[in-house]
Amino acid sequence: MPVLVKARSLLRNLFSTRRVERDLDLEVRSHLQLLIDENLRAGLPPKEAERAARIELGSPEQVKEQVRDKRLGHGLHSLIADCRFGARQLYKNPGFTLTVVLTLALSVGANTAIFSLVNALLLKSLPYPHPERVGTIYTRIAGSSAASDERHNVNGEQWQLLRDNVPALISAVSGVRASGVNLKAGSHVDYVQDGRVSAHYFDVLALQPISGRNFSEEEDRPNGPKAAILSYNLWRNVFGADPGILGQPILLRSEPYTVVGVLPEGATTPLNADVYTPLQPDREGEGRGTNFRCIIRLRDGATGQEADAQINRTWLSRTGRYELAGNPGAKVSYHSVPLQKGQTDSLRPQVLALMLAAGLILLIACANLAGLTLVRMMRRTPEVATRLALGASGWQIQRQFWIENLLLALVGGAFSVGVGFLALKELFLLLPEHLLPVASMPLDARVMVFTLAVSILTSVLFGMLPALVARRVDLRSSMASRTVAGSGNLRLRQALIAGEVAITVMLLGGSGLLIRSLTHLETLPPGFNPNGVVVAKASLDDVRYHDPATFQKLLEQSTAAMRQIPGVQNAAVGLDLPYEFIGNDWVTLDDGKEAGQQGGADWVYVTPGYFETLQMPLLAGRVFTNVDGPNSQHVVVVNQSFARKFYGGTNPVGRYIDKDMLIVGEVADVPISSGLDPVAPLQTEQTMYFPAAQLDRPLLALLHIWHQPDWIVRTAGPVEGLTSAMQRALAAADPNLPASGFYSMKDLLARTLGTQRIEVALLGAMAALALLLSAVGIFALVANMVAQRTREIGIRMALGSSIGQVMVQFGRSGAAASLLGLVLGLALCAGALRVMRSVIYGVGVYDSTTMLFTVLTLAAVTLLAVAVPTLRIASIDPARTLREE
Amino acid sequence: MPSQPTTLLQGTLDLLILKSLAAGELHGLGISRRIQQMTGGTFVVKPGSLFPALHRMEEEGWTSSFWGDSENNRRAKYYRLTKAGRRQLEAESRRWGRISWAIAQALEAS
Repeated sequence: MPVLVKARSLLRNLFSTRRVERDLDLEVRSHLQLLIDENLRAGLPPKEAERAARIELGSPEQVKEQVRDKRLGHGLHSLIADCRFGARQLYKNPGFTLTVVLTLALSVGANTAIFSLVNALLLKSLPYPHPERVGTIYTRIAGSSAASDERHNVNGEQWQLLRDNVPALISAVSGVRASGVNLKAGSHVDYVQDGRVSAHYFDVLALQPISGRNFSEEEDRPNGPKAAILSYNLWRNVFGADPGILGQPILLRSEPYTVVGVLPEGATTPLNADVYTPLQPDREGEGRGTNFRCIIRLRDGATGQEADAQINRTWLSRTGRYELAGNPGAKVSYHSVPLQKGQTDSLRPQVLALMLAAGLILLIACANLAGLTLVRMMRRTPEVATRLALGASGWQIQRQFWIENLLLALVGGAFSVGVGFLALKELFLLLPEHLLPVASMPLDARVMVFTLAVSILTSVLFGMLPALVARRVDLRSSMASRTVAGSGNLRLRQALIAGEVAITVMLLGGSGLLIRSLTHLETLPPGFNPNGVVVAKASLDDVRYHDPATFQKLLEQSTAAMRQIPGVQNAAVGLDLPYEFIGNDWVTLDDGKEAGQQGGADWVYVTPGYFETLQMPLLAGRVFTNVDGPNSQHVVVVNQSFARKFYGGTNPVGRYIDKDMLIVGEVADVPISSGLDPVAPLQTEQTMYFPAAQLDRPLLALLHIWHQPDWIVRTAGPVEGLTSAMQRALAAADPNLPASGFYSMKDLLARTLGTQRIEVALLGAMAALALLLSAVGIFALVANMVAQRTREIGIRMALGSSIGQVMVQFGRSGAAASLLGLVLGLALCAGALRVMRSVIYGVGVYDSTTMLFTVLTLAAVTLLAVAVPTLRIASIDPARTLREE
Repeated sequence: MPSQPTTLLQGTLDLLILKSLAAGELHGLGISRRIQQMTGGTFVVKPGSLFPALHRMEEEGWTSSFWGDSENNRRAKYYRLTKAGRRQLEAESRRWGRISWAIAQALEAS
């Protein structure tokens, strides 16, 4: 069997190399001997016989090499040999190898981590069957100054039209986000997240309960039967995975809800709730405003174009076109987009910017590695020259070189996976819960392939330059001189350093701006005293508290109990707090020259102690007292921005709004997270404060679906066991009211600025990495030059140069490269940082502080990176270096 | 002295080696001398061509080798044809016959 014979030969050639070689050697020797014998027989004298035989045979080594070249598996064999040789070379240069592997591990690791984020957010499909058919609807507004194309929440009218007139889709709506409700199981009450969803919500996601069913249309009608679907985790943790739970009532919002289904383990929805209840959407109440979030699935056989046409036809025929309010003449259209895009669109620019930054890190790393490899190549010139002289081809030399690069890339790549994994773990700890619409960022196959590809690409990029230079090795001169020619490449290496410094400057400038912006947001004048305040949230989305009298009694009793806690100075309740997301409504001015004027304003209800507890300065009039009850004059306190916006900054006290509401006071502005006109993550905005005692029944029910009020206490100093005392005070007023958690104002601020903090952390980390790599690059440049030219330094010092002069002379090359990079980088910043305009607040793109910080940081790092290697010059002994050689 | 063509037609050297072994086993030098003799001195196969070809043909399974003693008691590596080798010789011979006939026809054509 020829195939078997071949396989045996191949295996023998690869694995019994020594025996095959010995055999070949013997055969060539015996051939020579036979030739000599032949010549002797022909009558030649012995010496002549041997000479003639050797001439006929030629060089024995060459004959053997020709046989080896033809051998089966020769390519593979020499590849393995080259790899071994390469590995040995790398092992013999631990400094070089370690630097390269570390550089690769860090730079490729950064890319692995960021790509995992990109992968999880933008590339991985949503975990539903046929995810490409699941979507949401975007509203495109064109032909006006405020053009936009984004996901809007929808109102009750839109929902009904979508449900009834778009047969191409299965559609569903939910509340904008899950909201906290009280779940009573046995004697225990839990604060859980309730996702309010319409019928078919789970059909759109194609999620089937493991037992029971999805909500029926009957249950989704206003005032329909109260039903609940449990998440797997809630069913297991609270109800002990009770198989008989179906059909049983559970107490939610103090009302019985019948369990109709349990979701499968690990099933996720955009709401990520613990329990789901029917939304029962309507055009009235909640449905008057855009308070629903819709998701859609294309029915089998329907196309996206059909669906879009149907949506446009039905939604454009509406009577109430809120999109046109304040925007007349705008051209409005609707189109469906994949749900994944809808969920992650707001994060996309940030994530892609991070990916770009990671790519820049890779470029910096490549520049460094190219410089290092170049030096190494130069050092190996004698070796290369020797090999060329011994008959190695240029291709063999190149191949050896590339194999070493590839080995480095693979080792570095392997380490980078570890680095990426650790970085991801850190990143996840950094993120506030539910900030990202994904549950995990796995290092899956796609990430692995990406990492491998990036590693190999890096090795090609950094190997290219040295490879080109190596092709110009002049055999004769390098053999003759034995010295290493390096000065010709100094310019090249300086250019590499300048390039990486320029990129570093850009990253430093960018992260500097983000830091400045975050500092600005964190140090906004608070307008109240945030120190010594502890807050607790509790859900009043509870049928008992739809009654204003009960609600009022709860607030009075609980705040009175909290004021009794030793160390507590004051207590109050409010919905909501500074730094929090605040709801809003339209307001109409009713008197004076502003009569009839309308506008949006934020909306907060408070108990009388609110302003004192937060220590918000009163600017005019009075704050609320216990006199402001349900049956007295309806009053409102506004803030400074309100007075400025609606009354031109004149005193608003005594004016009327919304028919019969009397403005009785004006307080200072506080930063909030706006829902009205979000320009920045934190801003001050026109706000109205209402007494909690004057809220009516329907408003109480509606407000508490969306927001949970905060119990606020102010203490003089740290109080031992304050949170449990607060919980007890709350329980004294209502034993079935659990607090959802306790926070300081600092916590609330941190949560509101979560995205900004992550941006700063990530871009800052990348800038630091870039700085480190640049420092290593400059250090290597100078250190290498000092090492190469020790002899020259010796001569200079022997001729009378001082150590200082020589140090400056050598340090200059690194400093010059860095300076050039700095100038180049600042020029780049001027152009590139403009794209950051939309993510920075309270600071301009051309911020002198940031620029100064960038220049100083870079100068300090350059100085350090240049100084350390030049210090070696001081230890050079001219007499000794001159004796050497 | 007739010079050895540096670019023997691919397969020609194989054919000559196979043919030289058809009569019985030979060592490397023996094969070389036999080819010289068979071709009337037209082809002198040098070791640099002979040995790679011999090793390749052994890997192909056309020949097998063993160590034996030469006529004046030197250890030498001998080669002999295998069954596959004999089949290859027949196939190569037929192919060569066709080629030489065709070339001859081409040269005769006016």
